[in-house]
Amino acid sequence: METKKSFGVRMLIPILTAVFGIVFLFLGLTQYGFWHELRGPLPGFFPTLVGIVLVIISALALFQSFKDPARPVPMENWLPAVGALGIILGTLVFGMLFSIIAFLIIWIRYYEKYSWKTTITTTLILVAIVVGVFMFWLQVPFPKGLILDAFAY
Amino acid sequence: MENLFLLLDGFQVVFTLQNVLVTLLGAVLGLIVGAMPGVGSLAGVALLLPLTYRFNPTTAIIMLGALYYSNMYGGSFSAILLNIPGDTPAVMTALDGYPMAMKRKRPGQALFTSNISSFVGGLIGMLILTFMGPALADLGLKFGPAEMTALLLVAMTSIGWLVGKNPTKGVVLTLVGILIATMGMDTLTGSPRYNFGSMYLLGGIPFTPFVIGSVGFAQVLKLVSEKNNKVEAHLEEKLTIKGSLLTRHELRRLLPPALRSGFLGTFVGVLPGAGATTGSFLGYALQKSFKSEEELGTGAIEGVAACEAANNAAAAGSFAPLLALGIPGSGTGAVLLGGLMMWGLNPGPLLFSTQPDFCWGLISSLFLANLLTLMIALLIIPFLIKILTVPIKLMIPAITVICIVGAYSTSNSMYGVLVMFVSGVLGFVLDRNGYSTAPMLLSFVLAPLLESNMRKAFIISRGSIGIFFDKPISLVLMLILFAIILTPIVRGVVTKIQGSKG
Amino acid sequence: MKKTMLFIALVAMMVLPLFAQGEAEQAASGEFVPTKTIEWYCTSSPGGGSDIFTRAIIDIIKAEGLANGQDIVIQYKTDGAGEVGRNLVSNTKAGKADYTLLTFNSGDLMPMVKNTPNRIEDFTPLSHMAVDKHLIFASPDSKYQSAEQIIAALKAGESMVLGGSKGDDIACHAALSEELGVDQDTFSYIAHDSTGAAITTFLGGHVDLLISKPAAASEYVTAGKIIPVLALSTSRFPGNLSVAPTLSELGYNDVEVPNWRSVVGGANMSDAARDFWSDVFGKVSQTDAWNNDYINKKKLVPDYMDWKEYKAYADKFQADYLSTL
Repeated sequence: METKKSFGVRMLIPILTAVFGIVFLFLGLTQYGFWHELRGPLPGFFPTLVGIVLVIISALALFQSFKDPARPVPMENWLPAVGALGIILGTLVFGMLFSIIAFLIIWIRYYEKYSWKTTITTTLILVAIVVGVFMFWLQVPFPKGLILDAFAY
Repeated sequence: MENLFLLLDGFQVVFTLQNVLVTLLGAVLGLIVGAMPGVGSLAGVALLLPLTYRFNPTTAIIMLGALYYSNMYGGSFSAILLNIPGDTPAVMTALDGYPMAMKRKRPGQALFTSNISSFVGGLIGMLILTFMGPALADLGLKFGPAEMTALLLVAMTSIGWLVGKNPTKGVVLTLVGILIATMGMDTLTGSPRYNFGSMYLLGGIPFTPFVIGSVGFAQVLKLVSEKNNKVEAHLEEKLTIKGSLLTRHELRRLLPPALRSGFLGTFVGVLPGAGATTGSFLGYALQKSFKSEEELGTGAIEGVAACEAANNAAAAGSFAPLLALGIPGSGTGAVLLGGLMMWGLNPGPLLFSTQPDFCWGLISSLFLANLLTLMIALLIIPFLIKILTVPIKLMIPAITVICIVGAYSTSNSMYGVLVMFVSGVLGFVLDRNGYSTAPMLLSFVLAPLLESNMRKAFIISRGSIGIFFDKPISLVLMLILFAIILTPIVRGVVTKIQGSKG
Repeated sequence: MKKTMLFIALVAMMVLPLFAQGEAEQAASGEFVPTKTIEWYCTSSPGGGSDIFTRAIIDIIKAEGLANGQDIVIQYKTDGAGEVGRNLVSNTKAGKADYTLLTFNSGDLMPMVKNTPNRIEDFTPLSHMAVDKHLIFASPDSKYQSAEQIIAALKAGESMVLGGSKGDDIACHAALSEELGVDQDTFSYIAHDSTGAAITTFLGGHVDLLISKPAAASEYVTAGKIIPVLALSTSRFPGNLSVAPTLSELGYNDVEVPNWRSVVGGANMSDAARDFWSDVFGKVSQTDAWNNDYINKKKLVPDYMDWKEYKAYADKFQADYLSTL
């Protein structure tokens, strides 16, 4: 129960939402206009009001958050995010299809330690969906990456 | 009665071998497109449009109508089985559909519920369309900016039912959702706001990647903690249709919400600017004010039925302004309209009188598509639930890939993937700390509608608030709004007084 | 001495461009013929106006075999309200730029110039294809049924609301209220996401007047739901829209903000490729398929300009628009 009092993400969230509200309310008031006599609300009206309420409610949530137990996230939970980031970065260089295949093989074969058979079957099924439905039928032009692009022209 | 005969004539148009086959093809393609996150009916219809130039217009619209329509069924499949909404209306289906499949271990019944409710909702929408199409379209016209503002204010109060156990946290995210939605271009002045100098943000935060991330990808991150649990044996019994059937009692539970949502959804579908997504949100919210046998959000049949019936009814209802007035209610409607022109028809208020064959053919094809899609959707339940026998360890990388590909496909750009990724990570952190993201998605959809209608109303009234109380429809809606807001306050005060007396 | 210098300088000034031109033509005579797949960018979603325009041209190019049998793929780039796609095309590298086209309308140019640093100079104008203009409509139930009555009422200080779409419709309203000398709070404007949405609001009787392009409104005129009252053009429209007079008939200057549709390439497109594409689109504009299936159906005014003519036109359009900001 010691974690209960220490500062953590649960307090950071309402602080960040309050900052978010302040930014919107500040820009709304200073840049986008609030009310026009004949035109009614201007672009800044709605965000400003919502920003004010958000700051107040966030403050309330911050006080309540001290009562919440801390729920630290095990590092393992972030692995899919790391994987997704890997695909995003890999796409820029090697293209999306290649990065997806590489991710699937690394994850299934080397992280989850499945057999090659399972690895290849799963990869093939997913690639079939991506290529068949998205690429051929829906004609989504997946990025080819820097390397293939360099050869293309 | 006359309409009934016209409808029967329509069926004569539809019941040729070619048209039935084309309806079937449209239904199957629609199911696939619907189940794929990221690509909605818009992309499916638009990409098939050139294919249909070879057909005669009636056959072509029948196919596209079937595709558009069955898409609404498909969206719920991935929502129920994977907690990834295949299309945006399915966000609400996931709220009860996924717990019903996983926690209650009844995936077959969840799909069955969704299919039957879709059918019922769609059927109601189509019947109303058949008998009162033009009248319905005229009713939609009565809802100008002032009326829409009042209606949306009432709708926004329904977010209160979605905020979950911690109201403060629910309200925080509701407001965050509103602010995120204001980023991009201000449509009324055509000038950018809150784009922070970014060219990408000029177009705002795209909704579909936002949903895929904050619901789907966040779910993947959550699943990691469960992957070593031995929950994989939960499907030993029923991989057949028979095992997926609902009991008579459950069917009786399903019917009232499906009927209510059917009427509500049809009405929402007719309104300017509101679509199937709004329909399904409101259908679910309406169910909150009625009794459900199980609590909503824990896998209740009523929850799945309410939103699925509403979104299919809305899809049918949106055909009323399209056919009667030539006004598209959605992006997909606009593409269908573009198709009509390409085939040499002139969509507009005269379409019913100049092209009766075409209009009634289309309406009757919707009935046929609804029936055929239901049959296909029920038949494939056993194959669909096989997905759940795949171990979670394999589902994690698979869903990650589908999230990325789906997010990319919404606008063919890595920007969509980035939005998906960031909202997924944030969504997971928020969920972990007791913030439920559903109210954020709801306010993201409703708030821009509310804002633009309210500002339009004020321009019309030259800054006077009187416009919301002058005309009967908005006046009634405003009274309802006050009643909704004041009731709990008055009740609270009354109980307090009574408490102090006692 | 000075005279001789001046003479030499003058001769040089006259002769040099000839050389330069000779050189340019030499380069151009290394003719461009596409040998790879062409990517055509479209900054609206599938099914939108720009998409239909693009597909119509591509279908004709394929049917007539104008692109050396090469495939043309449409790339939809809708991010950032289209600015991302436009920016991408304008920065395409030399070489690839010869195979990269972009559908570009006045409705794209105005927000681009207003909200981003990109200008028409960052592109290679290829061909201007067609023009769409606007009309103002009133309702058969409204108090005023003609432009004269409406203008008189506005001048008398009666307030009216005009409903329409975004972009060029907004620019039309601004130009019109300036020409009439009525301020924008008396003659106010409500921008809708699309003309369809504007028509909905108008048919419901929530705004007084409607601005629309002819194609979207024509059917409602035939059905007697709306009446054309004013043509924002230099001449009247044909067919059932011909009852609407132009502003010059009413004693004002004509107001028109043409919505033009064109094709451009990136800044790095070679001159040879530019000439090739400009020529291809010229051929497209001559076909029956173009004039019957696209121009007539969309009720547009065909107006082909080659790259030179279009460049001058677009430069002036941009300068005029910038001066109003």
